[in-house]
Amino acid sequence: MSKKIYQKPTINYINFAMASKYGSPLQTQKVRTEIDGVQISELTEKFGSPIFVFSEKTIEEKYHALHNAFSSRYNDVEFSWSYKTNYLNEICKIFHKLGSTAEVVSEFEYQKARANGVEGKDIIFNGPYKPKADLKIAVQEGAKIHVDNLFELNDLEEIADELNVKIPVAIRINMDTGVYPAWSRFGFNFESGEAYDAIKRMYDGGKVYLVGLHSHIGTFMLDANPYYMATKAIMHLKAQVENDFNAEIAYIDLGGGFASKSNLKGIYQSADVIVPTPDAYAEAITNAIYEFNKSEKLPKLYLETGRHLIDEAGFLLTSVWGYKRFGDGKKGYILDAGVNVLYTSTWYNFNIELDKRYEGENEPSMLNGPLCMNIDIIEEHIMLPPLDRGSVITISPVGAYNYTQAMQFIRYKPAVVLIDKDSNAKLIKEVDDLSTVNHKES
Amino acid sequence: MQQATQLLLDENNIAFHPIWGNSYQVNDIAKDILTLVKQDKTKDEILEQLSAEYEISKEELFIDLGDFFSKLKIYGLVS
Repeated sequence: MSKKIYQKPTINYINFAMASKYGSPLQTQKVRTEIDGVQISELTEKFGSPIFVFSEKTIEEKYHALHNAFSSRYNDVEFSWSYKTNYLNEICKIFHKLGSTAEVVSEFEYQKARANGVEGKDIIFNGPYKPKADLKIAVQEGAKIHVDNLFELNDLEEIADELNVKIPVAIRINMDTGVYPAWSRFGFNFESGEAYDAIKRMYDGGKVYLVGLHSHIGTFMLDANPYYMATKAIMHLKAQVENDFNAEIAYIDLGGGFASKSNLKGIYQSADVIVPTPDAYAEAITNAIYEFNKSEKLPKLYLETGRHLIDEAGFLLTSVWGYKRFGDGKKGYILDAGVNVLYTSTWYNFNIELDKRYEGENEPSMLNGPLCMNIDIIEEHIMLPPLDRGSVITISPVGAYNYTQAMQFIRYKPAVVLIDKDSNAKLIKEVDDLSTVNHKES
Repeated sequence: MQQATQLLLDENNIAFHPIWGNSYQVNDIAKDILTLVKQDKTKDEILEQLSAEYEISKEELFIDLGDFFSKLKIYGLVS
C-alpha cells in the first residue's frame, strides 16, 4: 500500500481579532518563482545560496524613468553614478553605458571608477575626507573636486602651487530645507553666510576658482519640496557669486537622496503610496532653477542618485537551514544569510517571498541569519506557512548599500549574479573564500 | 490530565476546547496526532505509527513532531 503524502503538522490558536476586512493573515503567502524569467530554483542550483541577484532590466527601467523625468524638463542634465551605493564593477558599467559618469567619495572608489574606464574629468570627487595625495591625482586628472571644508581648500592651494595651475572647484553647501534633522555635517552652511565666506576665501587666495555648487540634503527623502528649497538656495548663491566675484558657475549638483520603493520601518503606508514619483523630484528641482535663474546661461544639472536607481534591481536569495520553536511559541527559521549581508535590515521591512506556495496555515515566525549573534534578525515578526529545510526565500529590495556594506563577518561574502536583458544569468562576483579573507595577512 | 484529550476535532479541521472556549486551526496530520494523543499514545508510539503511514523519513518526522508537541505545550494542551 502506498504511503500518504506528508504535510508538516500545524496547530494555530484562532484569534478572531486577527480577521479583518483585509482577510486572514493565516492564508496569505507571497510567492516569487522567478526573476526576469530565470527560475529561483535554477539560480540557487547553479550558483548556490545565499546569492545576490541583480536585474539589468530593472536598472535600465529605473534609469530611463528618472532620466526622462529630468531631461523632458531640462536640457542639460547628467547622472553621476554613486559608487558607494553599489560599486560592483558590472553594475557600475551598466550605469556608465547608460550615460552616467561617476561620483566617488574615496580614493578607492576613484581608482575603481578609473579602472572601469571613466576619465578623470567625468568623476565627481565628493566627501569630507580627501587625503592630499589622492586629491592631487584627482586634480591632475581633471576630476570635479567638491570642497567640503577649509582644510581641503588649503590642501588644494598647496597643490595649485605644486602643479603651477589654477584649480576649478565646486563647493558643497548645506542649508535649511525644512527637513529634520538637517544635514549640516557636510560642506558649508548657506544661511549663516559660511558658504559665501568660504567662496570669498577662495577668491582671496587666488589659486582656485569656483565652477560648481553642490548640495545633498538627505537620504530616502519622502518629500520632493526640500529639493525645491535646496535648489532655490543654490541658485541665489550662484547669482551672488557670479555678481561679486565675476565667477561663471557652469554647473549645479543636487546630489541624491531620492527614495526607493522600500518600506521604511515605522511607516504605516506602503512605499507605493508615500515615495515621490520621478516627476515630483524633477519638477521640484527644475522649477526652482527656472524660477530663480538670473544668468544668461542655465547651469548644467548633475544628479548623484544611487538608491532610487539600484535598490529595486537587487534581490537576495537565501535558504532555510533549519528551524526551531521558541519559548513564546514563535517558529524561528535559521537562514544562510543574515544581517552580515543585509545592512539595511535595521531600517527597512523587506519584501519577503517564498519559492512556491506551501501547504498549511501561517503562524507567527521569525527569520534569523546564520551568525552566532543574538542580533542576527532579518524579520522579527512574520506570518509564514511551515517551510522545509532548503526552502528558498527571496528578499528585496536590497540593491542599494547592502552589497557594499556587507560585512565579511563569520560567513564569507556571497556571490553575485547579474541577469541581463535576454534573461541570461551570469556570475559577476564569486563567493569569497579563505584566500580572500587572508589576503595580505601574515 | 492532558488538556489535549479534551479537544473536540471536527471535519473542518477545527479543534475546540469546550472548557476553555478556545479554538485551534489544525491540518489533517495534526488531527491524526491529536486523535492518537486522545488515545493516550506516547510521542514515540505516534512517531512509529505516522512514519509507517506517511511518506516521510523518521528523522524529519521526529523534528516536526517535537516541534508540534512544543507548540501544544506552549498552548498548555500537554504538560
